[in-house]
Amino acid sequence: MADSNPDRPPQDWIRGWSARRHGQDTLPHTISRRRIYILPTRVGLMLAAVLVAMLVASLNYNSNLGLALAFLMIGVALVIMHHCNRNMLSLKIDAVTQGDAFAGQPATLVFGLRNDSVVDRRDIEIHCLGASAPAIVPARSSASLEVRVAAAARGVVHARQIELRTRYPFGWFHAWSYVHAPLTVFVAPAPRGERTLPWTEGEGSGSRTESRGDEDFAGLRAYEPGIPLKHMAWKALARGGEPAVRSYTGLSAQPEWLDFDALEGGDTETRLSQLCLWVLEGDASGRVYGLRTPGREVAPGRGPAHRTECLRALAAFEAGAS
Amino acid sequence: MSAPRRGRLPAGTVPLPASSIAVMFACVALALGTHVGSVPAWVLVAALAAGGIRLALAWRGRRPPPLVVRLGLAAAAVTLLYVQFRTFNGLAAGTALLAMMAGLKLLETCTPRDLYVTTLLVYFLVLSSLLMTDSFWLLTYALSVCWATTAALLRLTTTPPLPAWRSSVLYTGKILLQALPLAAAFWLLFPRFSSPLWHLPSDAQAAQTGLSDTMDPGDITHLALSDDIAFRVKFSGPVPPSAERYWRGPVLHTFDGRTWTRGHTGLLRAPPWTPSGPAYTYTVSLEPHEHNWVFLLDWPAHWDLPQGALTADFTLIQPDPVSRPLDVAATSYPHVDFTAAPGLIMRRRDLQLPEGRNPRTVALAQKLRADHPDAAGYVQAVLDLFAREPFYYTLTPAPLGTNSVDSFLFDTRRGFCGHYASAFATLMRAAGIPARVVTGYQGGTLNPYANYWIVRQSQAHAWDEIWIDGSGWIRVDPTAAISPSRVDPEVAAAAAGDESLAPGWREPPHWLVSLGMRVDAIREIWRERILLFDQSSQMSLLEALHIPEPDGEKLVLVLTAALLPVLVWLTWSVRREVSLERGDALLRAYTRLCRKLARAGLARRAYEGAEDFAARAARERPELANQVEPLCRQYSELRYEARAGAPPAAQVRQFAAAVRKFRPQR
Repeated sequence: MADSNPDRPPQDWIRGWSARRHGQDTLPHTISRRRIYILPTRVGLMLAAVLVAMLVASLNYNSNLGLALAFLMIGVALVIMHHCNRNMLSLKIDAVTQGDAFAGQPATLVFGLRNDSVVDRRDIEIHCLGASAPAIVPARSSASLEVRVAAAARGVVHARQIELRTRYPFGWFHAWSYVHAPLTVFVAPAPRGERTLPWTEGEGSGSRTESRGDEDFAGLRAYEPGIPLKHMAWKALARGGEPAVRSYTGLSAQPEWLDFDALEGGDTETRLSQLCLWVLEGDASGRVYGLRTPGREVAPGRGPAHRTECLRALAAFEAGAS
Repeated sequence: MSAPRRGRLPAGTVPLPASSIAVMFACVALALGTHVGSVPAWVLVAALAAGGIRLALAWRGRRPPPLVVRLGLAAAAVTLLYVQFRTFNGLAAGTALLAMMAGLKLLETCTPRDLYVTTLLVYFLVLSSLLMTDSFWLLTYALSVCWATTAALLRLTTTPPLPAWRSSVLYTGKILLQALPLAAAFWLLFPRFSSPLWHLPSDAQAAQTGLSDTMDPGDITHLALSDDIAFRVKFSGPVPPSAERYWRGPVLHTFDGRTWTRGHTGLLRAPPWTPSGPAYTYTVSLEPHEHNWVFLLDWPAHWDLPQGALTADFTLIQPDPVSRPLDVAATSYPHVDFTAAPGLIMRRRDLQLPEGRNPRTVALAQKLRADHPDAAGYVQAVLDLFAREPFYYTLTPAPLGTNSVDSFLFDTRRGFCGHYASAFATLMRAAGIPARVVTGYQGGTLNPYANYWIVRQSQAHAWDEIWIDGSGWIRVDPTAAISPSRVDPEVAAAAAGDESLAPGWREPPHWLVSLGMRVDAIREIWRERILLFDQSSQMSLLEALHIPEPDGEKLVLVLTAALLPVLVWLTWSVRREVSLERGDALLRAYTRLCRKLARAGLARRAYEGAEDFAARAARERPELANQVEPLCRQYSELRYEARAGAPPAAQVRQFAAAVRKFRPQR
C-alpha cells in the first residue's frame, strides 16, 4: 500500500509546461522516457536526511565499514529512482470507452494498460478528472481499469490529460507522466419525470413490450448502424452475404419524436430530465424514435448507439465545454 | 490531507495487520542483534519487549497503548539511560538511545508511515554498529539485515496480491547488486577527512589490550597464552635476523621492589646518537590496543606518524591511543653510536632501587661486581649465573614474596621473561650499572603467502637495556641465557612458531598452520585495502591515475567522471528490462533487419506488416527483392504460424544469422 497521504499532486505549472512541450497525444499512447517526471516523496526526503546523517557519522568516525553501508544505501536509493521510473516506461495506455453518466452517478472511464515487457508493473495509478484507480499489469499482459469519476451536474466534462502515477518500489519516489489526450465525459440529465411516453397515449396500445413472433417477420433488409444485434440475420451473413437484419412488421412503424419544445412547463433541466427518461423508455420499447432539442435534431433510430447519441445530445444541450 | 497525529488514525487509513507488525518486529530484532555486546543487554531486552507488547496487542486486533502510557515509557527509558551513561553524547550512549527509540517506535506502530520511520531507524541502528568495528562478519551481518529490511519494506508498501517472499528478496538483492558499482565509486573517491569533523567524545570503557605500562612479574602470563595478533610487519628490503627482531614498547624505570613502572619521562631528552651500519625499512600494522605507543625495532630513526614523537627512552608514542588499526612506516638502525652519556637525572633514575628491599640480591651483586670490575665481565657473569644455576622457564611460577627478586633468584628459580628481566635489572643497578626494563615483543612469524610477519600477543617479551660508558645503551635479554632444556614444555604450545625458543616442541599440524596463514593473508588484505583506506590512499590512487598534485577537488572531479559511466550503465541495464525486444530474439532480429533497410533508404512504415513491407521493398528496390522477400516471409511465418508456445529457437537463430549476413547497399 502506498503512503496514505499522497503528496501534493504535481504542480499545475509542470502540467501546463508538459502540455506545451509535447502537444496533443493520440491514444493508444506509449509512455516514453522523456515524458516521465520523478520527485522524491516525503518519505524519500526523510530517507535522504537519514542517508546524509549516516554519511556524516561514518565520515566523522572515519569508519570505512560505515561508509560502505552508507554509500550502498545511497546507491540503493539511486537505483530505486531508476526502477520507479522504469515501472512506468513503455507502458501502453488506451482509453477503451469514453465515460457516459447520468447526473449524480459516477461516470466510468475504462482504460487499458498494456505491458509488453518481461517485468511486472505494480502499483500504477491512473488519475483523471480528480478520480483514480490502481492497477497491477503483469509481464506481457494487459490490465483494464475503471476510473469512476463523480459526475455532479449535467453537462459535458472535458479532461485535457490523463495522469499515470507510481511509487513502486518502496514509495521513496513519485514518478508520473501526463498523456495529453482529450477525454470527454457526457453527463446526461438524471432520468426523472412524471409523464409517460407521448406515443403510448396516442396509440392507446397500453403495452410497451413488443410481442414479436415469427409471424411478424417481414423479410431482410440492409443493416444500418444502430440496429440491435439481436435482429442480425446471422445465417445470411454466414452464407457470405452482406450484413442484413430481420425486419418485423411491428418494428417498422412510423418514427416517434421526443421534442423539447413540445414539453410544456418546468424549467430546462426538468424538461431535459423528462426527455432523458423518455429516451430510456423509448429504447426499452424497441421503437424507432428521434430527438429534437432547440438547435439539434437526432434522426430517428434505435439501439444502444442511437440511445447514446440521444443521451449525449441531452448532455450537451446548451452546455459549453466546461 | 494532513500528517497523521500520534495515537489517532487519520481518516481513511487502514491500521496495519498484525503480520506487517510481526515482520517489522523481526527486522528491528535483527538490527538490535548487531549491537549485542556493545549496548547494555537491558536496553536490547527493553526494546524487544516494547516491540513484543505491540505485537501481542496486534495479534489480538488491538491498537497501540494510549499516548500517555507511551510517553511514560519513553520518559522512563530515557531516564534509565541517563542514569547509566550520564550523557547522551558519545557513541555508546547514542546507540543505546537509538536502540531504545526503535523499540518504542515499534510500540506505537500503527500506520504505513510508522513502517517507513521504523525502517529508517533500522538502517541507522545497523550503521551505528559499524562505526567502531573492523569485523568483516559484522559487516556481512549488517548488510544482510539491511537486505532483509528492504525486502520487507518492499512487501509492506505494495498493494496486494503480494509477490512471493522469495521473489521480493531476489528483487531487493538485484537492487543491491545494481547499487554496488555506485557504492564502490563513492567509497573509493568520496573525499575523506584526515581529522574528524567535530571532536569525538571518547568512550572510557574501551578495553586496553596487549602490554600495559607497568610490569608486575606475572602480568605477561595472560598474554603468553593469547593467540591474538598484536601487529603485522612488512619489510621492504632485508629482514633482520631473529636476534634483532625486538619490538620496542614501553620502557620501565621505576621499581618498588615488586612492580616496574614507567615513572615520569616527560622532560627528559634522549641522548644523541648517530646511526651506523645498515637500516631496516618496514611498515608496522598495529591492531588497536588502546595505548598510545607504537612498536618499532631498535633503534627507530624515521617514522611517518604525524603526531608521533620519540620518548627519551626511544619509544614512539602518539597523543591519542591506538583505537583503530594503524599503519606506521619506519626505519630503524640495529647499530647506533651514542655520542653523549645520559643526563644525571636519567642515570640516577636508572640506578634507583627501593630502600631495604631484596637484600640478598644486592649482596650477590656486590660480591659478583667485586670479582668483575669491568662492566662487560660483570654482565657476562650474571648471564652465566642464569645459565648455570637451575633456572627454569615456566608460565606458572610459584608466587613470590615481598622481596620478589630475592625469592625468585634464591628460592623458586622458576619464572618467565618478566622475572628474568626484573632480576637482571636489579642486579645491574645494585652493581652501579644503569639499567631499565624494556617491554615489547620478540620474534614474529613469516606468512609465506603474503610475505609479511605476524607478531602475536604470545610473543610479548621483557628484556633489559644497560648503559655502559663508551658503548651506550646495550640490549641484554637474560631470558635467552637460560638453557633451552629447562623450558617448561607447556610454553611450547603457546609459543609455537616463536623462533626465539628452541625447536622440538609439539606443533600443530602443518596444514592447519598453513590454512591459518592463508586466512590471515586474506585478513591482511581486508585490513590494508578496506579498513585502512583513507585520504592518503585516495591521493595515491590519484597519483596512480597520473593526476598531478592530487587534492580533494580533483578527487571530486574524478568521482564525477567515474559516476557518469556507472549511471549510464545503470540506466541502460534498468531500461533494458522493459525494452520490448528483451527476451524476444525474433523481434530483435527483425528490428535489426528493419534498421539495416532503413539505413539503405527503405524505412518500414509503422502500419506495414512484414509482408506488405517486403512487397513495397520489391517495388521500390527491385535489386533487394530476392533477399528481402524471403527474410520477411520467414519472419512472418515464425511469428504468426499457428503453434503452441514460442517459435523454435533453432529457426529463430537461423533467421537472426541470415539477418546478420544481409548487407543492403544504398
